Amino acid sequence: MSVLKAARELGIVFFPAFDWAISPTHPERQERLLYTLDQLKEEGVFDIPGIREYKPEVAGEGDVDRVHFCFPETSGVVSPSHLVSAGGAIRAGRLVMEKKAAKAFALVRPPGHHAMKCVHGARGFCNINIEAVMIERLREEYGPLRVAIVDTDCHHGDGTQDIYWNDPDTLFISLHQDGRTLYPGTGFAHELGGPGALGATVNVPLPPGTSDEGFLYVAEHLIRPLLDDFKPDLVVNSAGQDNHFSDPITDMAFSAQGYAKLTEILDADLAVLEGGYSIQGALPYVNLGIVLSMAGLDYSHVREPGFEPSRVRQGSAVTDYIRRQCVDIRKLVKNPPPRQRSGEMVGEWFVRRKTLYYDTDHITEYQTESVLVCPDCPGVLKIESESSRTPLCLGVQIPIRACPRCRSEGERVFTEGAKSGRYAVSRLIDRAGKRYERVGGVAVG
Amino acid sequence: MLLGIDVGGTHTDAVLIGRQGIVAMAKIKTDHDNLLVSIRDALESIVSVAGPEGVSRLNLSTTLSTNAIVEGDTEPVGMFVSGGPGIDPVLYRVGDHYFTAAGCIDHRGEETGALDESAVVQGMAACREAGVSVFAAVSKFSTRNPDHENRIKELVHPLADYVAMGHDFSGRLGFGRRINTAYFNSAVWRLYNRFVDAVQQSVLSMGLRPRINVLKADGGAMPLSMSRHLPIQSILSGPAASVMGIIAICDIREDAVILDIGGTTTDMAVFAGSAPLVEREGIAISGRPTLVRALRVKSIGVGGDSAIQITPQGVTVGPKRLGPPMAFGGAHPTLVDALNVQNVIAYGNVAASFAGMAALAEGSGLDPETLADYAIAAAVNKIREEVAGFVREINDRPVYTIYEMLEGRKVAPAKVYVMGGPALALSALLQDAFSQEVVVPENFAVANAVGAALARPTFSVELFADTARGRMVVPSLGLSREVGRDYDLAAAEADALALLREHVRYLGAEDDEAPVETVERSSFNMVDDSTFLGRNIRVVCQVRPGVLPQYREAVTCPC
Repeated sequence: MSVLKAARELGIVFFPAFDWAISPTHPERQERLLYTLDQLKEEGVFDIPGIREYKPEVAGEGDVDRVHFCFPETSGVVSPSHLVSAGGAIRAGRLVMEKKAAKAFALVRPPGHHAMKCVHGARGFCNINIEAVMIERLREEYGPLRVAIVDTDCHHGDGTQDIYWNDPDTLFISLHQDGRTLYPGTGFAHELGGPGALGATVNVPLPPGTSDEGFLYVAEHLIRPLLDDFKPDLVVNSAGQDNHFSDPITDMAFSAQGYAKLTEILDADLAVLEGGYSIQGALPYVNLGIVLSMAGLDYSHVREPGFEPSRVRQGSAVTDYIRRQCVDIRKLVKNPPPRQRSGEMVGEWFVRRKTLYYDTDHITEYQTESVLVCPDCPGVLKIESESSRTPLCLGVQIPIRACPRCRSEGERVFTEGAKSGRYAVSRLIDRAGKRYERVGGVAVG
Repeated sequence: MLLGIDVGGTHTDAVLIGRQGIVAMAKIKTDHDNLLVSIRDALESIVSVAGPEGVSRLNLSTTLSTNAIVEGDTEPVGMFVSGGPGIDPVLYRVGDHYFTAAGCIDHRGEETGALDESAVVQGMAACREAGVSVFAAVSKFSTRNPDHENRIKELVHPLADYVAMGHDFSGRLGFGRRINTAYFNSAVWRLYNRFVDAVQQSVLSMGLRPRINVLKADGGAMPLSMSRHLPIQSILSGPAASVMGIIAICDIREDAVILDIGGTTTDMAVFAGSAPLVEREGIAISGRPTLVRALRVKSIGVGGDSAIQITPQGVTVGPKRLGPPMAFGGAHPTLVDALNVQNVIAYGNVAASFAGMAALAEGSGLDPETLADYAIAAAVNKIREEVAGFVREINDRPVYTIYEMLEGRKVAPAKVYVMGGPALALSALLQDAFSQEVVVPENFAVANAVGAALARPTFSVELFADTARGRMVVPSLGLSREVGRDYDLAAAEADALALLREHVRYLGAEDDEAPVETVERSSFNMVDDSTFLGRNIRVVCQVRPGVLPQYREAVTCPC
């Protein structure tokens, strides 16, 4: 009888963590999704036939250990709130994989896209990467999947990039405010992925002041074709909402209408909330726009109070710059330069050295990442990491479709490392053999 | 003594309860086209046994509003809606006189767009033309700030016999639900009031002087005078009355499932944490969700009249109903026929049941007894599965805090109470299927009327305060007042509880009859640019559905 009916089934996992904050006045505080919930309830979104609300699962430490090397231990860097928000993403992923919904939106907090492969604490309000924890759980349960992640948060998704840097089966695309003007200061066009996965990382830095026109241009002319070429089994949108013109910690000029249109163009199977801190003026409307768009409903009446397109429209210089960017990036991705600036070859290993700062927890990490450049598989990954809090640790990962040589090489590196006494903690993520191990500083066997 | 009358679809049940127990009972066929006659007959039947004196309270559960809405037998309503940005308000259209006006209140109750009064005036002209004289006014977020609804009411008042405002019904959010609730309320307002006039007259003419209450879908009662403004609150009260009856008769105190096996469906409800579970948002009628609080009841398509069919997947029972059982002259065998064949019961023409089952079994390789066996097993299994799914669904309801996520109480029914026609016949089989103890109470035949008689008043208040705006509102009480910057959660909760207590007294209940409780309390610090602006406070207090304690013992029997 009601005229309203979703064109496709949408599952929403809503978890606002009303009892969790980084600190009372931190942007990542209890109040963050309060007005979004009010708006969604008042609009009657959960009453629309075809849209259903679901409760998150609680992820286990095992889900975290499948993705991250947490040092010195997992329980020390992960709190229940992170396990619930990651569990929310997992529930959303499962809804789509089990075809209980055509699309799903994990409207959860805390966020995760700044959490990298190694975790010593919180960076950019993130401890664990909830998208990666979800994706790897889905891969564990449903087999190898080609996954594309489009990160539309205003901040570069450096954590997700780091986790999938060497994975040719995961296309990671981030569009964000230019790193020269915003945290975390990375995400430049030349960052294209490790030697075995060149072109599977795509960065689109956008100038401050980019508005609907610029975002939608990039989505249509760059991202859409890249997604079509990659032919993913699953498209995940890391749906940060801090590109909004009213966001207090960024400088972009995107609107709720723009977000809804962007969502339509990306046509992601899953969206996972990331940042977005204009909690009254933007989030209620942006989230409503995304929900309606994902469900295939009319969103043309969604409009944030005080929105005047003319006031936030980008200048022509910005438009021209973005158009040129798109052409350049497309070329770079298609034909990445053979010589990588990010590191150097040492024997068969490609080695990068990184210094990372955990702004939320004030930790500095020093890291050496080596990946075995293998013609037959994505290659074994070896990370040596120490921080201002934790002595040197080792992480070894054998990828899902590792070749026999990489499997035995990974085993060897881990076993020898664990025995050597050099590392406070040694971790093995063996995706091929589904073995996840942690050894303290003492020698094994 | 308390008199309960439940006007159901088929029967009207009445029961008079004194401190020592049930004094009189009556069961009459409902005259669908004249419910008043059914009520009068029930009253007469009770009065003839017990006399008119001593009836201190009459609680009435009636399908009048429900039938009118479901059958579309309602009055045209001039519906004025101001939506603001979001989902296009046109998509919530209901009725033939639906008008939208620009205007916007945001989630904090701030006006972000003025009401377009000219659009309202235009709509009024159209209503005058069409002879519409009842109205409803609904605006988005009116529970945070009712100004636009109040203004629309002022504007249409000169034309109106009655104007409903959305915030009168509940402080809960849900624009579409608010529209439906206000619309239906106005649509049955006149019909309901005329009916109530007639009921009052009948009661008086029989020499009765009781306080009269009307049953609600949440198993609670409201005074007749209040129901005159809020007739929508009287919809779908029948199933709730039955559930409340069983709770009283069996003195249920621990988590339990309550099943009512009827002709076409089996209705299930869940009792948990010392009260029956209530729908999270409100009940739907005619396919439209409302803000009317209701017990959470789910229907399974299995009942005594459910058709038995042989399909490639096996023998099924329901959800189709192809007429009455063959034992009662039907053309297709049903669950009742299967029970007849298996000698569990002997209802009506048992030979007809046998003949029907034999005819259906022909060519299937099954003999009639085996087919009947399979059918009964299929029905029992379906009920068991649906109950398990229902409990799972309840435990899977969304929660919004890490505490509830990790420590939240899980519903774990210890008993299954079964009532309805085939209850006794199926009890042994149900006991085999359920791990919980299955109980069939003896007195369930008039459980609905007992539930009606013993229902206590229920009410809920939703308080919303924003200390940065300096305002506190309780929409369902029409209250809005200024608060200081130091107003906090404790003060808000105390206010909400006091207001609820006061209102419950007005509803005619003593404090000990209707205990109040807080069900939601939260206070969020509103911060802008690291600066504390104020508190955003929400408190919900309620009287839960329950049975009047003084009479509980009178009806409780060993279950």
